[in-house]
Amino acid sequence: MPSGTATHCPYCALQCAMTLSPAAVPGAGFPAGDIPTPASPAVPATPLLEVAGREFPTNRGGLCRKGWTSAALLGHAGRVTEPLLKGSDGVHQPIGWDQALMLVAAAVKDSWARHGHDSVGVFGSGGLTNEKAYQLGKFARLALRTSRIDYNGRFCMSSAAAAGNRAFGVDRGLPFPVEDLDSASVILLLGSNVAETMPPFVQHLQGARDAGGLIVVDPRRSATAAFTGNGGGIHLQPLPGTDLALILGISHVVVHEGLADAAFLEERTKGHKAVLRSLTAFWPERVQSITGVPATLIRETARRLARSARLAKDEGQGGCYILSGRGVEQHVDGTDTATAAINLSLLLGLPGSARSGYGTLTGQGNGQGGREHGQKADQLPGYRKITDPAARAHMAKVWGVDESLIPGAGLPAVEFLKSLGQPDGVRCLFVHGANVAVSAPDAGAVIAGLRSLDFLVVCDFFMSETAAEADLVLPVAQWAEEEGTMTNLEGRVIRRRRALTPPPGVRTELWLMSRLAELLDAPSTFSDDPRTVFEELRLASAGGLADYSGIDYDMLDAGEAAYWPYPSGSKGTPRLFADGFAHADRRAAMVAVTPSRRAQRSFPGDSLALATGRLLEHYQSGAQTRRVAELSASQPEARLQLHPETAARRGIVDGGLVTVSNERGEVQVRAEVNTAIRPDTVFLPFHFPGAGSANRLTEAATDPISGMPEFKTSRVLVKAVRAEPALAAAAVSSHRKEES
Amino acid sequence: MSERIVVVGFGPVAARLVEGLLPAVRRGSVSLMVLGQEAEAAYNRVMVAEFGVGRSTAEALAMADAAELIAEGVDVRLGVTVKRVDRARQRVVLSDGTAEGYERLVFATGARPVIPNLTGINPDPAHPVLPAGVTALRDLNDAGMLLRAVTARQRVVVLGGGVLGLETALAAAEEGAQTTVVHSGPHPMGRNIDRGGGAVLNAALRSAGVSVVSNAVSTAVEHNGPDGIFSALVLDDGSRVEGDLLLLSCGVRPRIELAEGCGLPVAAGILVDHRLRTHHEPHMFAIGDCAEVRCASSGCPDCKGATAPSGLVGPGWRQAEWLAGYLEALAEDGQEAADSLPELAKEQPGVVVLKARGINLAVAGDNSAEPWDDMLCPSPDGLPHREVAQWADPGHGRYVKMTTRGGVLQGLVSVGMPRTAAELVVLFERGSELPADRSLLLRLDGTDQPAGANNDPARTVCRCAGVSGAAIEESVASGCASVPEVSKATRAGTGCGGCHDDIKAIIEKHFQGAVAA
Repeated sequence: MPSGTATHCPYCALQCAMTLSPAAVPGAGFPAGDIPTPASPAVPATPLLEVAGREFPTNRGGLCRKGWTSAALLGHAGRVTEPLLKGSDGVHQPIGWDQALMLVAAAVKDSWARHGHDSVGVFGSGGLTNEKAYQLGKFARLALRTSRIDYNGRFCMSSAAAAGNRAFGVDRGLPFPVEDLDSASVILLLGSNVAETMPPFVQHLQGARDAGGLIVVDPRRSATAAFTGNGGGIHLQPLPGTDLALILGISHVVVHEGLADAAFLEERTKGHKAVLRSLTAFWPERVQSITGVPATLIRETARRLARSARLAKDEGQGGCYILSGRGVEQHVDGTDTATAAINLSLLLGLPGSARSGYGTLTGQGNGQGGREHGQKADQLPGYRKITDPAARAHMAKVWGVDESLIPGAGLPAVEFLKSLGQPDGVRCLFVHGANVAVSAPDAGAVIAGLRSLDFLVVCDFFMSETAAEADLVLPVAQWAEEEGTMTNLEGRVIRRRRALTPPPGVRTELWLMSRLAELLDAPSTFSDDPRTVFEELRLASAGGLADYSGIDYDMLDAGEAAYWPYPSGSKGTPRLFADGFAHADRRAAMVAVTPSRRAQRSFPGDSLALATGRLLEHYQSGAQTRRVAELSASQPEARLQLHPETAARRGIVDGGLVTVSNERGEVQVRAEVNTAIRPDTVFLPFHFPGAGSANRLTEAATDPISGMPEFKTSRVLVKAVRAEPALAAAAVSSHRKEES
Repeated sequence: MSERIVVVGFGPVAARLVEGLLPAVRRGSVSLMVLGQEAEAAYNRVMVAEFGVGRSTAEALAMADAAELIAEGVDVRLGVTVKRVDRARQRVVLSDGTAEGYERLVFATGARPVIPNLTGINPDPAHPVLPAGVTALRDLNDAGMLLRAVTARQRVVVLGGGVLGLETALAAAEEGAQTTVVHSGPHPMGRNIDRGGGAVLNAALRSAGVSVVSNAVSTAVEHNGPDGIFSALVLDDGSRVEGDLLLLSCGVRPRIELAEGCGLPVAAGILVDHRLRTHHEPHMFAIGDCAEVRCASSGCPDCKGATAPSGLVGPGWRQAEWLAGYLEALAEDGQEAADSLPELAKEQPGVVVLKARGINLAVAGDNSAEPWDDMLCPSPDGLPHREVAQWADPGHGRYVKMTTRGGVLQGLVSVGMPRTAAELVVLFERGSELPADRSLLLRLDGTDQPAGANNDPARTVCRCAGVSGAAIEESVASGCASVPEVSKATRAGTGCGGCHDDIKAIIEKHFQGAVAA
């Protein structure tokens, strides 16, 4: 039995298992840093804990760079360790907790009195533990008495969740354990760059790569797409915004070449006839003209998928999986694109079969649990709808309150953020575990919104870009300082354990909610003990879609693999859909979808399509990873990826400064010139603030169903700050020379 | 108050219009009737050949379901024809003798195949009586004839070297029929493709198992088969092309008789303006293969050089989508609101992508110019200079020609280079500027990958943990002799494990060096 604390990584939804032990030799180990801004010299510090990978089915002992260096933030010098109040001079000064809590309670009451209950808002996060996410939803509705609560998962999983709910009646990212992928002979990865975002996951693609069956859909030759080289599979490079048409083209071939699983469609789905008809118009050559993907590759992809699905079903060999990621979901038609992927999987008869399936790869650490228990504007715990009278009655009973005290549905994140400081909008805002000043679309407008608030409270452990705007910053515990549960990308509930006592001035968010509820005379109870909150969550989720009622801390501590739904008295559900889907008729609902004009628009003239995305070294807004010296040294700043042709035409050299601009804003970054991207597209990671903030350029346009913003096809102009005239002259075509 | 709309015809374009009008039908603002001549509701005619060679099913071709539409409140009549349109009384007279009134009428009557004037074939284009063993492959019945021939591995003769003829010939050959294409001119697709592309196409067709008879003028159809069935196509030089089935693929002609019969102005198609309204009758419309967009204004720049209907389905679908929005606005928001909607956008010249498995071919625009044609001539009307770039590798069946003005494609030909074709078509349709180095577009089908194996010691070997080759070599030099040992010392290989082979190679190299020394 190894010494140390068995827990999981603080970052992504793979939740790699790790062991934290006290640093054996002070000063040894890898450098941790306390550089609040990039590019300043790294100051090695002594990490308080040592990190080691731990054997677990998801990561098999592996960790990526982010995980290995995660302990560097625990003793970080830049940490907020006391409540900080912004003075009239704009400088934050430490105050005591009693005063801080009184100020918050007064601000809430003042906002209530002047603007009504809905003038107070809460913005949560997919990084919070289940206990915190659950209690935050309850806190908003019962203590703050507001309907205005939503969270950053809206920028992440909302399209996949909406599509999953519509088709299957339930939304669990992977409806099967991740090891199931190991035996697959074909895996279709739609818009997911796991080699950067969750590297240890790549182990589960090895079987498909060995079989030559890894098929990656990505406009860029991403690190993941590169795995398809050397016989590993196929890389399909659709034009940005045309993923939906590509999926329809693949589906068309499946139907027209008689490769669909007719018996499955007949017995286990509804609406398939309308879907089949809608596919008729998407023959491969037409799809080629829309997407730029050759018809031959579209056919080949369809046949490979069908062959592997058939072999898995008939011979019990291999398997066929379709996995979607943010690349196809973060669009104004993201829900429809995810629906098209689900339809394809249903045509092939994958969901609910023994060796095949469909799933979406959840991003944030608790992106799964965080979207189940009431942080969403329209939701109550257990993945219940807040508008459903039965769900409201159930929650009123669990909470011991009158049902009329539970507000109705609020606003999804983008609308929520647009309402900041507006006359009927949110005037007093709580932010928990999110950094909207960097991560939200049209970040410039969001920052202006934050500044127009009457009162902003941010709970964080660092002075994030959002915290910097706050009237009051409340320091909270980090991952290794708290107990709780997380639900990983497979819907498996796991334990986060405490390895360290937080610094003296730091509190947990549960404690904070509990004290504030008291000051606001809230009904019901607000415990500051995670185990007690989880026991309440069990009751709250009982009978809901995401039912945790059969799970407890002792069982998890004994090592049981607990997948929801786990009703009390059951053994949990590692694999969903074997006996039916979660609709009343047990059938999967197929909905015909077509591409929207907007998602496919092209940009004439000099403008380019900007896609935003991630780097291996950084997580989300970078509030944490930019403060880790090793990660920051490796990727200190945002770089704009562009094609050599695009660069040369504009006199841009590799490493040269460029401006990227549109009607919403402008950023200035260095260029990274390579051929892994199309000439009409540029890529910018969104982990950075200020002059390098990609989200200053993204538009707050959203999917009509999920509220997901469009992050992947913003129109931008790119210019060299100091152009290399010789380069540009050589690049323009001869007719231009004649004109000049 | 609901507005009565009658759609004449129920092909793929009409299906799209009906689908677009469904929301208004559900709201009760539109009362919709669709009249289809065939017994089936709309299906995708573009894929009839696929069905004809047994690659698809009639069910998979369906684009509408009559029963479902009826359940939604649409009045669907199948197997009826419209005998005439009574403009004065605003009603259509049907083949069963009944009449139906309309407030708005949409012609979606499509097109019919051109039947060439050959001895042995009734020349009346409106009522052709084709001999046994001869078909024009327009509907599902025709496709059934082809299917029987292909299944029996018979000889199929295709008359016509257009895109549909080639697609059918290639599909039939791939599915086992012996196929011959007979066409005029030196190579098939003579209207679209240039000489170089045509030569490469000819060779590709032959290697795909399709016989090609070029420069042919056919004069007669011989039917000396059993029961007088088709036996050979006779050419003007007296030669005979023998076969068991003759497919006529000589183009299509818009079906305009109904419109013409009620006095509406027509040219090749029914003339409509930029709101798809027939001339002088703003409550009558035409879409798809039967419609010719050419407004009554003589000075209209968009209509200058307008041509007959393209016969492609894409423009028809765009018209159907636009008209659905316009009709909905008319019914729900009134004339003024509807007329404030933007007019139908001008169609770009069509792109032809051959639907075939063995041959990759894309053609669009004007490809008549050769690379040196315009080198010394001034451009007309101050237009940017026309430039032609070309790549020919007939030995490997590859050919590309890009004709540009101001860097934007005016024409393209691509044979045997799928990724180049896909990219060029996208650039053509979007009107995007080509890279100045045109050869970039030729390398997309190449096997070369961005920078392969790299022995630079500073290069990152383990991306997950960010460990360089140099760091791994150092750990090996200081005693690590296995991947786990290197992992423990450097963290390399502790993420996805994808670099284990590279680490092994570094270890082996080190110890080989040690032995050699």
